[in-house]
Amino acid sequence: MATEKGTTYTIPIGPVHVGLKEPITAWLNVDGERIVDATIRPGAIHRGIELMAQKRNPIQVIYLAERICGICSFSHITAFVEAVEKVAKIEVPRRAQYIRSMVLELERIHSHILWAGVACYTIGFDSAFHLGMELREKVMDTLEAFTGNRVNYGVGTIGGVRRDFTSKTAKAIRELIVYYREHFHVFTDPVYDDPIVAARMRDVGVLTADDAVRYVALGPTVRGSGLRTDIRCAQPYEAYADFDVKPVVPQDYFGEARGDVFDRFVVRTMEVLQSLEILEMILEGIPEGDLVWEPKIPKLLSYLKNVEGQGMSCIEAPRGDDTHAIYLTKGEENITSWSVRAPTYSNAVSWPVMFRNQELADAPLIINSVDPCISCMERIMVTDSARGVEKVVEKRTLTELCREKTRRMMQG
Amino acid sequence: MKENTTLAVTSLSEVLSFPEVKTALQEFLGEDLLSLEEYTRVSKAQDCVPLGDLWIEVPRSRFMEVVEFLGTLDFPHFHVISGNDEGEKVMLSYHFSLYRAAGFETQIGVSVKVRLSKDMLSMPSLWPMIPGVEYSEREILELYGVDFVGLENKNLVFLPEDWDRSVFPKRRDETGLKPEHIRKLS
Repeated sequence: MATEKGTTYTIPIGPVHVGLKEPITAWLNVDGERIVDATIRPGAIHRGIELMAQKRNPIQVIYLAERICGICSFSHITAFVEAVEKVAKIEVPRRAQYIRSMVLELERIHSHILWAGVACYTIGFDSAFHLGMELREKVMDTLEAFTGNRVNYGVGTIGGVRRDFTSKTAKAIRELIVYYREHFHVFTDPVYDDPIVAARMRDVGVLTADDAVRYVALGPTVRGSGLRTDIRCAQPYEAYADFDVKPVVPQDYFGEARGDVFDRFVVRTMEVLQSLEILEMILEGIPEGDLVWEPKIPKLLSYLKNVEGQGMSCIEAPRGDDTHAIYLTKGEENITSWSVRAPTYSNAVSWPVMFRNQELADAPLIINSVDPCISCMERIMVTDSARGVEKVVEKRTLTELCREKTRRMMQG
Repeated sequence: MKENTTLAVTSLSEVLSFPEVKTALQEFLGEDLLSLEEYTRVSKAQDCVPLGDLWIEVPRSRFMEVVEFLGTLDFPHFHVISGNDEGEKVMLSYHFSLYRAAGFETQIGVSVKVRLSKDMLSMPSLWPMIPGVEYSEREILELYGVDFVGLENKNLVFLPEDWDRSVFPKRRDETGLKPEHIRKLS
């Protein structure tokens, strides 16, 4: 909070890009370059998806759920259909569970590589950014080869999946595994070893393990703080119980967990390698069998119409756990109530903690460190409350500010 | 309200299994356990021990005690509050989970349901204990009109700044959305 009149500025970061699932504004109280406190205001574009669902049947809501987020679209529908399957006591065939796990892991690789590249871009490490973007294309191509789409895959349905795994898919995934094992370290090793990267990411945006628990941080954010929390291990869903997933924590690789941006980088990049191992196990272990519990949609819908109850499901999405809660009423075709808790919803609560005592030039990096939403910062307004002057700082200027700091360090 | 400092994630003495948590809750609540449902599946590691989620319903008066009781087992990880307007009452479900960082197949979901009558829509806030609940409580406040006693910041989260705060979008009664609040895009 403002200590003395005229010494602190309030800087709102946001409002946000139309295409994002969770538009967020961060109001930063700064004393010079140092962030004193932060207030977060989400909801610049609340689309009311949960309300729309109340006028739709569960099958229609799958397509709504898929459009909550562009990157973890499959995570959202998996969480949703699992919640419905729990209420309706629908048993998903093993083969379908394997296929779902496969798409979830491909999505995780996609999300993590994209994030790691963008993190490098934010600090001005453009060569690493371009490498990251090039690496990401492979997983996008593989997803396209399997599903026909690059973003919203349209693969999941209640009780199973809509697309079968073929020898062609297996070949594409084997190629992907070989490709990333060969090329991924070309991107990550220079980043781990770079002294400037260490200077920019080490001890920036620190979230202690204690705060991570109290502020309900999730996914790579909480694992970056050193806690071995991964739902794939703690409460395995789909086929994950077969894969013995161990939570990735920075202390296993760098000896200690500081809970800073660097640790979150380590967790995400190491999880890409972990996902490759899981994909290998999926290729080896995928059983033969049915794809769906009930292939006839009208029959499935009339079954769901007779279901009464509530279901909750949480899965490990790339950014943290994604929770969906659903209520169904007997005799009603449409969903009674649906709650979606995307990972950023929880992770954003800990931003004010991470911002405290950081430099303004690190703000983009800290925001970026929980969620790959760099376009959140389309526009920034700087308000000098003492003089009542306002000026608009473009995203470009702020990025430049962030990069300028890297250049200063390289010269110094 | 006292600060909950039992951060058991880093200092867990023992990890209870799903049936043990269920029995512990049954014993703790006794007759106040209004309903109990379970969604289980069989564990891979420990044969025949079911895993899964528990759904319990408690009266509002016992709610804080239940959360404190869960806190003696492990720091309850808070997911979200989901709600449903049932006509006479508003039902809130607090979704928690226990033993998230305790190893393979240890996590247990505990959803605590509370039914509030519409003439007294108020709940004690969990915010002093678990600061991570802030957005969820503010969301339920703006969407269902349930007040949270002890929550510091009651500003809007998702609705626009100029929103009429006597309209609660997820209610199905006269305070709910009217056609003029819905903007059709096509």
